Amino acid sequence: MRLLLIEDNPRLAGLIRDGLQGQGFAVDWCGTIAGAEAAMQVNSYDLLLLDLGLPDGDGLELLRQVRRRKDTTPILVLTARGGLDDRVSGLDAGADDYLVKPFQIPELAARCRALMRRPGAALGTILACGNVMLDTAERSITIATSPIEAPPREVDLLEHLLRRAGHVVAKAALENSLYAMDAEVTPNALEAVVSRLRKRLAAANADVTVRTVHGVGYALLAPVAAPAMPKAANA
Amino acid sequence: MPERSGTGPSLFRQIARRLVVFTLIFALLDVVIVLVTYARQPESLAQELLGLEARRVAALDDPANAVALAGTRNWSARFVEPDVAADAVLIDWTRREQIAGGYRISGVRALDDGASPRWLFLRFDAIGMRPFLPVIRNELIEHVALPLVPLAGLLLLFNIVSVRRVLAPLRRAESEVDGLDPENMALRLTVPGEPREVDTLVRSFNRALARLEASVLTLRDFTASAAHELRTPLSIMQLSLERLPDGPIKSELQTDADQMTRLVSQMLDLAQADALVVDDPAVVDLAAVGRDVVSQLAPKSFAAGRQLRFTDHGGAIIHGHAEAVFRIYRNLVDNALAHAPGATPIEVSAGPGPQLAIRDHGPGILPGDQPHLFERFWRKDRSSSDGAGLGLGIVKRLVDAHGGTIAIETPAGGGALFRVQFPDPSFTTK
Repeated sequence: MRLLLIEDNPRLAGLIRDGLQGQGFAVDWCGTIAGAEAAMQVNSYDLLLLDLGLPDGDGLELLRQVRRRKDTTPILVLTARGGLDDRVSGLDAGADDYLVKPFQIPELAARCRALMRRPGAALGTILACGNVMLDTAERSITIATSPIEAPPREVDLLEHLLRRAGHVVAKAALENSLYAMDAEVTPNALEAVVSRLRKRLAAANADVTVRTVHGVGYALLAPVAAPAMPKAANA
Repeated sequence: MPERSGTGPSLFRQIARRLVVFTLIFALLDVVIVLVTYARQPESLAQELLGLEARRVAALDDPANAVALAGTRNWSARFVEPDVAADAVLIDWTRREQIAGGYRISGVRALDDGASPRWLFLRFDAIGMRPFLPVIRNELIEHVALPLVPLAGLLLLFNIVSVRRVLAPLRRAESEVDGLDPENMALRLTVPGEPREVDTLVRSFNRALARLEASVLTLRDFTASAAHELRTPLSIMQLSLERLPDGPIKSELQTDADQMTRLVSQMLDLAQADALVVDDPAVVDLAAVGRDVVSQLAPKSFAAGRQLRFTDHGGAIIHGHAEAVFRIYRNLVDNALAHAPGATPIEVSAGPGPQLAIRDHGPGILPGDQPHLFERFWRKDRSSSDGAGLGLGIVKRLVDAHGGTIAIETPAGGGALFRVQFPDPSFTTK
């Protein structure tokens, strides 16, 4: 997993690079738009981390240029701009995610992973959270190294929750992907599947929890007290 | 509302007082002119006096009963018959002659009282001006009071009407000035065109407003830029802190850095909220935004052992700014997370209709605290270190920018309920 970090503050760039390397990413760094263009010609990157205020121009301009070339490399915008319209304009310009400074490395790493897992990007076939692992190709679940059996619908549900571990997955999104368009879905059908999956995970001593967010959806939370999650102030 | 009536005298009183003083001076001048005129023409004064006396006596049945004029001696009055045979015709005449110890006035006046003409002969002696007092009084009434009083009244009326009309632009300016506030610095007073005095005043006031606006904007820009510039060093600080070995010092420093980050974010949010004008509203689904906010905040609240619930009561569509609505929700939920005790659920809802609500099961809000809740930098417990007291101020400003209202209720079962009501989108033009 190779990232290109485009950030003009050398100290901050150094800290981000070291932090992400500690999380298993390979990070190249440049401080200007021109440098970024040059680096992208030589290497192909799985993800761009882009600061908006750069010495030789606005990062949004680079973002538009990349998208104009039909380049679908995921781009995560890192910025000090947290204005009311900044996030929207960043996403409109083609960014895949938007993170306002200051942030913490685990959060940044989680967002990077989430972006790379997206369909179309390099897709890891093994999803893991806590002691739960899911092989998306084999459709097999392993909990603490011992494989367990589960019906396809529960595997699908677990996959969706694992892909967005630490985040809330909307009920509507789960219903849409778990049931065929024309299938009759009773209001409690999803709840029943979630409940069965919970029991199965608990029976196998999984250390993750599936939490209900009433009226919104479900979230799979890692056992550690502070899983990667968005900071409220920077949404 | 500001006090409209000042403590100074009203326009009416000011004009009336000036006009009365002016009229009195004028009357005095008039009196002096009358006196000087008659003093220089004793003959005409005698004529007037004789005429006046004749009218007085004629009102009586018998001239012999008439009382002498005050200040006169040897006063006599009798009717005289014209000597028709001698073909002598009496005409009105007056004579004033100097006698020893004063003057004598004598003369004849024709009395035309309907029947046959009668002629009255009058004669008296006097000293000084005293007998002339009635004449002078009459003259003053006729030539000074009668013309001046109505004139003064008319002038007063005319002055008040015209001054009021002239001052109307000032009254309009006054109500416009009342509408000025730092949130709306682009406002200018309507330039009246005339009168020129008010026009120049309004123009110079508008120039002062422009200077004020520039300085307010500079200040706001400064807050925003300062907060913005602080973010990069804060990032460096936070990331450097993460690399320190774990321990109590690290966690304390991280708490401090988090607080600073939060404060800087809120200052920036507030500066942006102050600058927000919802002039190009989009359709915003309060339920969708509410779900977004709950999705974002749920992991954090789970980590703190808290429950967040969302309920959609339907029909919660407004015209507004989605990101601003997001921040309204988020700040209210943050506030509930900070003030309600652990393990109690926080209920977020949208609708019914164009409203949203956040309810917690904390200690509720004391009525005495309610007016202060939305003040900037107000905190119930100033020694507490969580938050800067800006969150609800930001909410208030964002709600105001949407033309909405925010109310605090105490629901049955305790806790606090913040309800934000937006204008009905069917009444606002998109």
